[in-house]
Parts: sequence; structure tokens; C-alpha cells
Amino acid sequence: MFFWKHTKKGEPQPRGLDDISPSLRTNLHWLKEDIFVHDQAIAYRGFKTSDPHPRECVLIYADNMVKHEYLSQFVLRPMMRSSLPKHLRGEELAHYAAERILESDGAEFITRYSEIGDKLMDGVGVILIDGCPVAVVVDAQGWAKRAVTEPPSESVVRGPRQGFSEDLGVNISLVRLRLSSPNFKTRFLHVGTQSKTRVAILYLDNVTSMELVEEVERRIKAIDIDAVLDSGYIQELIQDSPYSPFPTIGQTERPDVVAAKVLEGRVAVLVDGSPFALTMPYLLVEAFQANEDYYNHWITATFHRLVRYISFFVTTATPAIYIALISYHPQLIPTNLVISISAARKNVPFPGIVEVIAMGLVFEILREGGVRLPRPIGQAISIVGAIVLGDAAVSASLVSAPMIIVVGLTGVAGFVVPSLNDLAVLIRLSLVLLAAALGLYGFVFGVIAFLLLLSSMESFGVPYLSTMTTLVPQDLKDTVVRVPWWQMVLRPRYLASKDRQRLQGQAGRTDR
Amino acid sequence: MKRVNLARLTILTLICVLLAGCWDYIEIETLEFVFGLGVDRVTPEYIVILEMVKTSGGGQHAQVEPKVLSTSSGSVSSGGAALSNVAGLRAFWPHAYVFLMSEQVAREGILDAVEYIARSRQVRGTVWVFVTKDCTVEEVFKSKPPVANSVSEHLNAISLMQENISGFIPLQVWELNQDLTKEGISPVLPTIRLVHERGELVPVVEGTAVLKGDRMVGWLDGHESDILCLLKGVFERGFFVINTEVGEHGRFPITYEIVGNQVDIKPLVKDGRPAAAIKLTMQFGVEEVGRAPINFRDMQQTDSVEAQLATHFKDRIRELLHKVQVEFNADVLGIGQLFRRKQPEAWRHFGSDWDVYFPDLPVELEVRCQVVLTGLSSAPLRVRD
Repeated sequence: MFFWKHTKKGEPQPRGLDDISPSLRTNLHWLKEDIFVHDQAIAYRGFKTSDPHPRECVLIYADNMVKHEYLSQFVLRPMMRSSLPKHLRGEELAHYAAERILESDGAEFITRYSEIGDKLMDGVGVILIDGCPVAVVVDAQGWAKRAVTEPPSESVVRGPRQGFSEDLGVNISLVRLRLSSPNFKTRFLHVGTQSKTRVAILYLDNVTSMELVEEVERRIKAIDIDAVLDSGYIQELIQDSPYSPFPTIGQTERPDVVAAKVLEGRVAVLVDGSPFALTMPYLLVEAFQANEDYYNHWITATFHRLVRYISFFVTTATPAIYIALISYHPQLIPTNLVISISAARKNVPFPGIVEVIAMGLVFEILREGGVRLPRPIGQAISIVGAIVLGDAAVSASLVSAPMIIVVGLTGVAGFVVPSLNDLAVLIRLSLVLLAAALGLYGFVFGVIAFLLLLSSMESFGVPYLSTMTTLVPQDLKDTVVRVPWWQMVLRPRYLASKDRQRLQGQAGRTDR
Repeated sequence: MKRVNLARLTILTLICVLLAGCWDYIEIETLEFVFGLGVDRVTPEYIVILEMVKTSGGGQHAQVEPKVLSTSSGSVSSGGAALSNVAGLRAFWPHAYVFLMSEQVAREGILDAVEYIARSRQVRGTVWVFVTKDCTVEEVFKSKPPVANSVSEHLNAISLMQENISGFIPLQVWELNQDLTKEGISPVLPTIRLVHERGELVPVVEGTAVLKGDRMVGWLDGHESDILCLLKGVFERGFFVINTEVGEHGRFPITYEIVGNQVDIKPLVKDGRPAAAIKLTMQFGVEEVGRAPINFRDMQQTDSVEAQLATHFKDRIRELLHKVQVEFNADVLGIGQLFRRKQPEAWRHFGSDWDVYFPDLPVELEVRCQVVLTGLSSAPLRVRD
């Protein structure tokens, strides 16, 4: 009271630098007129502490970002029911309130306006007390959160059903639950000048090479962008070989996958607001590994992995090989087949290459149309696709029946390796064009070109084809085959882990 | 540096694309797939006959039917080209199964006809070669095989089954080319004739056409061909019905199956003249005894059967040798070739006069027959009153 009595006609004092003023009126003025000007979602709840020395206070919070009942029950009620001793001055008021009155578990003190701005957006309550140049921040986060559900992009038959949600804290806790050891470390960074998105780097202190952690941190810190709305931003901004269509950073929605990758010596990056975690380095083999491989019997897992490799070949190569064979090398097709293909193609008005590209495009249109549609409408799309575009097109001699088989096979096989599916479309198209121009010769050209590209890439210092181009048994253990757990003695060598030993005891080291 | 790399890449790509050889984009439905090729002769022209498949329908009702086209022409290749014109589609050869020649073509020399097949990069070396007997090539192609869709497929199926059918020696073009160009061996070709089967003419592969050089000199019938198969060692399975004497009970027809056959032909020089020793060992199974009161558990009877078999085959081989040596003077067994390989010194001496030596080449013949499978799982059926 003493402070502002001296001001002229109760006008607010100048804002000064950034420091919160002891004058509640000044503070409110600057908050309302400057920092949160025109923002109607910020609530200012004024109240007074109880007698004998009522003191004016204001609780500020962002509407709908806080748990209102929590603020009323554990912040407002105690504050209004108790009184602040008369002798307290300045900061003592805030400390007294936090220590003796507030029933909130988290309480912080801030002294700058800009901090109020930042904090308020994290869903806290800020209490300003008249006469006190320090604001008390109480935790009250309470925005709408999605429950921990099974991730739709990576469902499993056998395995944990938890998936990440959009909340960083929840996501970290899901990983921490699986790696409950003090060696599991989390580093936080803020990215985005506008969004101030929290980003967490997860690693195991005793396994992961610190150079890798530092490198990841360095790259993330170097990001200068206004906002990060999904981990995809960070993925694209820090990945190696950005012009190559092959991913060099892995993504997953599953905490068990993140835990497994971290255990192998990788670094995981979680981004607030995105259910997709990033793992790095990412190698080509990982596209063919599924978490279920490790939960199922190793023989079935190996078989399924083999199916994935074959499917990837099928989805990328079938149309190209088909075109090459029917347009350049009909002598290589078995006689009966060549006759039936020829008969099926009679009356089809388009050359094979047009057919392949058109049907491939139709398939992609159907897929793209179905992806973002609500389920019930999505089914309509598949009916239209199957009946109208498939059956009718053949009956009308617009497309030959073998072509439908090729496109269908290609499409279905593409879903077997989901992480490379979008990319497979591009590979397929380029191989088809090469095959249409040069036959099998062109096809082989294309394959060699892709191999060259792959072998020139690396991810965070690790060659992209690592473990696929070696004959060391411990490196091959988790590539085309998934060897039984008791033989996975060592962690992957290429990740330069500090501690390579994975299995102790009866298995022991079986190789160098 | 970048520019240099780009230039290198461009040059490499151009080299790979432009120097890769010649091929062309084709649409598969514009091709007429040739299944069989035949050559007949009406002097001075050749008659070229193609069996093609006509594909039609498209969509989901595709149909395939064989179509025979023929034209007369100065050469095989020009005839093929002319038939493309007739068909309105480009003749596509790599899927051809068979190559047929008429007797007249074979007698005048097959080289003219075979040369194109051997030279063409479209026709495969695995095409089966036949000579038609007592019928024209066109008649064969127009006959109706009972099961197969087309005559060519029918003949292909028969050739692949040779080991179970016997009566001919199938031959592919690449083998014929080898036989033609080698010294001291005369090629033999399987023959096709037509038989009546329920009002339809059906092609049957049986017998052998014997060539001397590239000209045909005579026929061997099915039985003689079987013996030739034995001597050439191409027999896998075959049945022989032989009247066998069983003790004092008289003669009974018993069917034997050949289960093994090893032949060893040795070129020899005797008294400064070439000779040959043929050693043939055969293993038989007893397939069918019928009424014959024979007991294969009796070693004496088995021995008697084996002796009779040996005599039987010895006689038949002698007959065959007489025919090819004296009548045809065609070294179908390739004894000359063996001389050249195993006794090059002698061959240098006789080689040029092989035609003179061959007709009366002395051949020592040793035939051993063993009954190894008696087919006995129980005592044979005996009818009792």
C-alpha cells in the first residue's frame, strides 16, 4: 500500500526493464496492455487474503490449459482463507505463501514478465501478490490429453499395446517404465522460437556413445525454426542424406520399440505434441525389423522377416520386370504364360507401359483417398476400387487381367514393409520407366543405381547398409535372420557402444 | 570436379545405353507365336508351313486355337517372312517346339532347311526335329492330336516322354547340328507318320530316318529303332514281348521290361583293318508272364531265359548292323567318331576311306542279359480246376 500511494493519481509505474513490479496494478496493466494484449483466453482472478490484513492478489492462468477445480481447491481456497502476516515485505510474501499456504506440489518463483508469458502457456497458475515483486507459479496443467492407446500405425498381435500419446511427460514415463535404471538419461531442449516445443533426448548412459548424444544435441540445438508441430520437422531438419528418399532416422509410436533401440545404443528423441519418437542412427535393416520379431519364436520371426524382404522386392520390382518381359523379352516367359498374356492383352488399347503407370496411379489414388477418410467412407472407396476399377476395367478391355494381378500384388506387398511403402512407390516408378526404355537391362541399371545410392548413405556416422554387407556372424544375427535371444550376445558393433555385452552368464561370448 | 564427374556419368550412361546391342520395344499382342515350323519341297520351291496359335477374346474370355499357314517360297526365312504378311502379325519364333521336314527335303539334303534354324537367333536350339514319313508336313500340322491343343505341343509332349514310350530317338536342333558337323557319325532323326484314330488322323512318332551326310538314305522301323536306342544307350524303359521257351512246356510270350542298359563300343584295329567290339549288358524285369508256367525262383529256368534273351537281342542287333552297314552305309552308332577320339593314329589312316571300310567292318558282339526283377511278390497266378 505504501508503494503505490506515492504515485500520481494511481497511474501505473513505467514497466522498467523486464522485472515484475511490486505494484499489482502496474503488473496487471503491463500484462493486459502489453504482453497479453488482445488475448481473451487469459483469465485474471482477483481475490484478497483473509483478515486481519487483507492483501490484494491476482491468479492468472490460461483458460482450458489448467485444471480449474485444482486451482480453486488447492490455490484459491487456502489463499483466501489464510492471511499474510503484516510484517512481511516484498519477496517474503511470495515465499510465505508458497511455504505456508499453497497446497500445490510444485511452486516456483519468477521475477520477469517474459517468464510469466512462457510459463502461462505451459498451463500453470501464476499468483501475483500486491507488494511483492515475485510471482508464484503453481503447477496445474490440465489440458485435454489422449489416453495411452494402441498405436494405429503399428498394431501388434503379440506384444505390449501401449503407444505414445501427444504428451511428452507421459511418453517419457512410458519409456522409463521399461528401462528403470539410473543409467537411463533424459536431456531437455526447447526448439522453435514461436512454439518453444520441448524436445527430449533419451539414451542409456552406460551404453550409448556420448559422441552420438552430443551430435544429436548439437544438431537439434542448431535448428532455428518458428515452430515444431511434429517430430517430422526435427526428423527432416537433422537427418543425413536429406535428398535421398530413404529414411535415415527411424520413427515409432511404440515405447517398447524406443526402449529396444535405446538398449542397442541408439538415441531416441521425443517431441512434445507428437506421438512419434525418433530413433537414430537408422539403418536400412531396421525397415525390415518389426518389434513382434523379438516377441515371437525366432524361427517364425525369421520366416516373416524373409517374407518382408521378398515383399519389398516384389513391390518395387514386379511391374518393371513384367514390362521388361512383355515388351522386350517375351521369349523369357514360359510358353503357356506368354500365350495367355498375349490373349489377355488382345483388344487392350494401351501399350503395356501406359497400363502399368495408369493402374499404378489408380492404386495410389485409391490409397490416398482411403487414408484420410473416416472408416465407413473408406470402405466405400475400396469397394469402388475393387469392383469398378478392377473387374469392370478388365471386362471392358481397358486393362488386361495380368496387369490387375501385377498391380494388386504390388500394392499388397507394399504394405508388408510399411516404413518403406511410400518410398517403394518411387522406386517402382523409376524402375518401370527404365524397364520400359531398356528392358531388363534398364531394370538392372536401376537396381544398381539404387544400390550405389544406398551404399553412399550414412546415418549419424554409421553406413546405411551396415550389417547387410558383412559376413561377421554377430553382425548378421539380426538382419535377414533373427537368431534366438541366447545368441544375441553382443550389442551391434556399428553403434560403437560403450558396453557391447548384452547377455551375461551361461551364453557368454561366442565370437570375437 | 563436379562437372567432370557429371560428364563421366553422362558418357558412361550413354555407352551403356547405346552400345548394349539391338532390341526393340514390342507389344506382346502384336506377336504371332510360332509353335511349329515345317519345310516341304515342291521343286524348285520350298513350302514353308507354320503352326501358330491364334489368341482371341481378350478380357476374361481369352481363347487360344492353333492355326496352320503355308506358303511356297525360295527359302525358309523368306517363307517365314511371307507368312507374317499373311497372318498380319509378326511371327515370333522363340517359343517354337518342333521343326518338321518332309521325306523329300530329307532325301535332297536337310542342310538348306536346317541352316536357317541353326543360324536364326530367334529359334531356340532346343527345337525338336522330325522327318515326316508317307505324308506331307502340312498334313501332319493339320491332323488332330487327341489331347493336346496343337500338333506341336503334342509332338513336344511325346518327345519329352520318350523314355517311357520308346520306338524313336528324339533329337533337338543343337544335337543335330553337332552330329551333322562331326566326322564319323551319321545323324538319325525321328519320324512322324499319321495313323487313323476314330476317323481322325493322329500324328505318331515312331521309327527313324537314317541320314548319310545331310541326305536321308533310309528308314528304320519302330522295332529297329528300339535296338538302335539300346546301342546308343538312350534307352530308359521299354517293353519287349519275346516268345520264350519254358522247359518242355513250349513257347510262351513273356513281356520283359528293360530296367538297365550299359553299352560299351570299342574301336579296334585287327590285322591292319578297323574293327569294333560292342559289349551290351542289359537288366530286365519281368513284367507279364501270362500263362507261361515259369518259375523264376528256379535258377535253371532263369538262366535259360537269360540265354534266350541274349540270343534274341544278338540276332536283332546283327540284323540292324547289317542294315546300316550294308544297305545304308551310314555310321549311326558313331564308331568312326569313337575311332577318331580313342585311336587318332588309326583314324588318320582310315578316316578318309571310312565309307569304304564301314560296310564290312567286323563287329564283335557280346550281349549279356540279366533278369534282376522277377516281379514276384507271391507265387504266380495258377488256375486250378
